[in-house]
Amino acid sequence: MTTTVPASVDEHHQHDHRPRRSRNRWLWLAIGTLGVAGILGLRAFTGAQDSFGVPGLTADLLTLATSVIIESLPFVVLGIALSIVVQAWLPDDLLMRYLPNSPVLRRAAISMFGIALPVCECGNVPLARGLVMKGFTVPESMTFLLAAPIINPITIVTTHQAFGFDDGILVGRILGGLAIANIVGWLFSLHPQPNSLLTDRFAAQCAAGSHEHRQSRSEKSLDIFMRESSVLMPAVFIGSLIAGAIQVAVPRDVLVSLGSNPLWSILAMMLLAFVISVCSSVDAFFILPFASTFMPGSIVTFLVFGPIIDIKMLAIMRTTFPGKVLLQLSLVVALMSALIGLVINYVA
Amino acid sequence: MWPSLQRWWGVILILVAVCATVWLGVTQQLVLYIHPRYVVFTVVMAGIALVLGVLSIAVRPADTEGSAPRRGWSRVVGGLALLLSGAVALTLVLIPPTTLSSATASQRDIVGSTVGSDSQNVDEVENADDELLASFTVVDWASLLRQTSDPSFYANKTADLVGFITASEDDPSNIFYLSRFTVTCCAVDAQPTGVAVYAPEWQNEFEVDGWIEVTGSFETNPSSRSDLPLVLVPETMTAVERPSEPYLY
Repeated sequence: MTTTVPASVDEHHQHDHRPRRSRNRWLWLAIGTLGVAGILGLRAFTGAQDSFGVPGLTADLLTLATSVIIESLPFVVLGIALSIVVQAWLPDDLLMRYLPNSPVLRRAAISMFGIALPVCECGNVPLARGLVMKGFTVPESMTFLLAAPIINPITIVTTHQAFGFDDGILVGRILGGLAIANIVGWLFSLHPQPNSLLTDRFAAQCAAGSHEHRQSRSEKSLDIFMRESSVLMPAVFIGSLIAGAIQVAVPRDVLVSLGSNPLWSILAMMLLAFVISVCSSVDAFFILPFASTFMPGSIVTFLVFGPIIDIKMLAIMRTTFPGKVLLQLSLVVALMSALIGLVINYVA
Repeated sequence: MWPSLQRWWGVILILVAVCATVWLGVTQQLVLYIHPRYVVFTVVMAGIALVLGVLSIAVRPADTEGSAPRRGWSRVVGGLALLLSGAVALTLVLIPPTTLSSATASQRDIVGSTVGSDSQNVDEVENADDELLASFTVVDWASLLRQTSDPSFYANKTADLVGFITASEDDPSNIFYLSRFTVTCCAVDAQPTGVAVYAPEWQNEFEVDGWIEVTGSFETNPSSRSDLPLVLVPETMTAVERPSEPYLY
C-alpha cells in the first residue's frame, strides 16, 4: 500500500509540471536563438560601416584586445568543456584511485597530467577549478595549473619546431616548468589552512558543490558552463583590454635594447612575457625572432614565466585565488624562472 | 536582479564573443586577428560554445551556488568589472574590424626590426631572375637590405611591393616606410617590417596607413636628413585596396 502513494504523487507531479516546463524551454530556446541572431545581425550591419574615425592608437588597442579575446576564446571553451567532463561525467574517484599516497609523489604525478591535455594556460584555470571541486587539495591543483601549460603536447611540439634541441631551450623549459610547479605546490602545502588560499566566492562554491544536488548530468553540465563562463569571461575581456593598453603604451624597442646583458635580458624577457600575455602553445614562435638578440637562458625564462604569470593569467586566476596569494605566487615563480635563466645563461 | 545578471553575464559575454568570431569567420576576416592555421580550431570551438550557450538559456539550470550577497567594496569592484567587460563586449560588436595601423608599426620599432632576417640569402639572390624577384615581399627585401648595402648588388633588380605607409621619423616629407606586419600567432605578436621609399612630397598623393603598390629599384639614399644607405626609388606608385590577408606569416 505504502509504495503506491508516492508513485501516484510522482505521477501527479509529472503530469502537472512537465509540459509547462518543456514549453518554457522551447520559449527560452527561441529567445536565446533570436538573441544570437540579433547580435549577428547587428555585427553584420556595423561591420559594413567605415571605421568610426577612431584614432590610430585607440583603434590598435581595440584590435589588440579583440585579438587576445579571439585567440584565447577557443582555449577557454576547451578548458570549460574538459572541466565539465571532469566534474559531471567522470566517476568521482577515477583520478584519485591511481595516485600515490605520499604528497610529494602525488604532486609529481599531478604535474604530469598536462601531458595528456592539449590546453594552454587560460583553459587550465577552469580545469584546475574543476579538480578542486572534485576533491584535490589547493596546492595539488596549483601544481597542475602551473605545470600543465608548459608540458602540454602542443606546447612541446611548437617549442621543438621553433628551437629543436638547440641550447637546451626545450629541455630547460620542460624541466624548469615541472620544477617550479612542484616546488610551488610544496611551498603552498606548508600553509596551515589551504582553503584560505582560495577566494571567498570560490571557497563557498566548493562547499556548496560538495552537497548532492538533484540535477541530471546534462543540466549539471550546463550549470558548470554558466558558472565557469560568468567567472572567466569578464576576466578574459578585462585582461585583454589591459594587455592591449600596455602593449600600446610600452615601446617594444625599450625591451629589446635590454637584450644582451645576462641579467637585464632576463628581466626584460619576464617583462615582455608579462605584457604580451600570449598563449603557451604558441609563445615559442613569438619569441623565435628575438632568439638572435637574447641569450638562451633569457628565452627559457620567457618560456617558463610567460605561461604561468602574465596580465591575462593574473586576471583569470584572480577569480580563484586572492590577490595576496597571487602576489606570493608571482614572486616565487619570477625568482625561480630568473634563476633557471641565469644558470643557463652562465653555463651554456 | 543583481545576482541573476551576474549569473547570466558570462553566458552573454561568451555569446557575444562567439557571434563576433563566427561573423569574422563567415566573412573570412579572422585572419585580421589570428594566424590562418588556428581558424578552423577557433570556429569549431566557437560553434561548441554557441550550442552550450543557447542550450543553457533554454534549460536555465537551477542555481546550485548559493551565492552570498556582495557588500561594500566587493560590490563596487563587481560593478566595475561588469561595466568594463560590457564595454569591451560592445566594441566587439560595434567597431568594424581593422588591421593594426602605422602607429603600432613605429611603436614596435619598424626601423630596428629583425623579422625574417634569414628569409633570403644574398648569395642565392645574387643572380635571381625577374620571376623570383617579383615574388619577394617587403620582408624578403628588408632581409637583403640588412645583409648588404652595396648598390651594385641591387642594380638591375626591380622590386614590386605592396604595403601600407608608415612615415619616416628622420625625413617625413621625403621618405616613408612601405610596411607590413608579420604574425606568428595572432595580431598581439605582430612585428612590423618595412623598406624605406624615397618619394618627395608623397603626402600630396597618399596618406599614412594607406595601402599602395610600389615598383622601383634600390639606390643610394639622396636624402641628407636620413642616414639610411639605400632607399627604394619608385618608378610607379599606385594606391591599392587592403589585401584580404594583410599580414605576412
